[in-house]
Amino acid sequence: MLAEYLPILIFLLISTAMGISLVVIGGLLGPRRPDSEKLSPYECGFEAFEDSRMKFDVRFYLVAILFIIFDLEIAFFIPWAVALERIGWVGFAAMMVFVLLLVVGFLVEWKRGALEWE
Amino acid sequence: MDMPLQEIIFYAFSAVMVLAAIMVITVRNPVYAALFLVLTFFTAAAIWMLLEAEFLAIVLVLVYVGAVMVLFLFVVMMLDINLVPLKEGFIRFLPLGVLVALVMAAELLTVLWGRDRFGTGQFPVPEAHPQGYSNTAALGEKLYTDYLLPFEVAGVLLLVAIVAATALTLRRRAGIKTQNPARQVRVRRDERVRLVKMKPRSNADGREA
Repeated sequence: MLAEYLPILIFLLISTAMGISLVVIGGLLGPRRPDSEKLSPYECGFEAFEDSRMKFDVRFYLVAILFIIFDLEIAFFIPWAVALERIGWVGFAAMMVFVLLLVVGFLVEWKRGALEWE
Repeated sequence: MDMPLQEIIFYAFSAVMVLAAIMVITVRNPVYAALFLVLTFFTAAAIWMLLEAEFLAIVLVLVYVGAVMVLFLFVVMMLDINLVPLKEGFIRFLPLGVLVALVMAAELLTVLWGRDRFGTGQFPVPEAHPQGYSNTAALGEKLYTDYLLPFEVAGVLLLVAIVAATALTLRRRAGIKTQNPARQVRVRRDERVRLVKMKPRSNADGREA
């Protein structure tokens, strides 16, 4: 079974080598004449107004949590789809109940306005 | 595939994983630490793949790298971490930290020394599966026949998580102006435009305005 993953390993090796070599070649061959003005931080040409660390709005967090929940739903779909022929109608009905639960959740967040971005 | 190549791959991924895990706890910037955690998850997925647990590997990348790490990064950024106050209280919390470290080291050493109880010799070597074997299909077959109830309970848990997340983090701001696309599309001409009959009026020099 592992032999089927050999192309992915080769892909990993090539992409790692590519990424490292591009950075190294760029660092070796690129001209580099830094001075204090070039290295100073700036914001669209003027001095930085504030620290780059700032508080994110909590709404991003809500979107991320909802994304995780539906991502987990996808994770349950994969083995279901692969084994669908062998689990029969019982397995199909089980997934339909599962999806129904998540549709209820989806409707809840929709109606409460969690998907609105104001 | 013969064994030595698998061992080389295993040691390569393990080395990267251990290095990345060390970087997670030593790097100063929490965002870089989270990115090194991503690298740790990736290599752990590769090692699971070597164990022929392909579904676990896929889910580790899909759920942890894809979603949980996004959440981690949001949390790191939302906490607004200033790097200087992080080092305050280092001496004060040192005894507690040393205690926790000692307990964890003792646990690790118990496992390492107690090879007759915990070692890999206690478990049979998993046999290599033939070409075309699908770990995902085997898992799906078990999950949707023998473990139906836990599966549905997981669905209920996800539903509870959705409701709790919206209840905890949903903030409504007053006085915002939103548009309602459905109403915008349904709007009729006579709701917006009013034709007014006006008598032509002449200016002082006699020309019509």
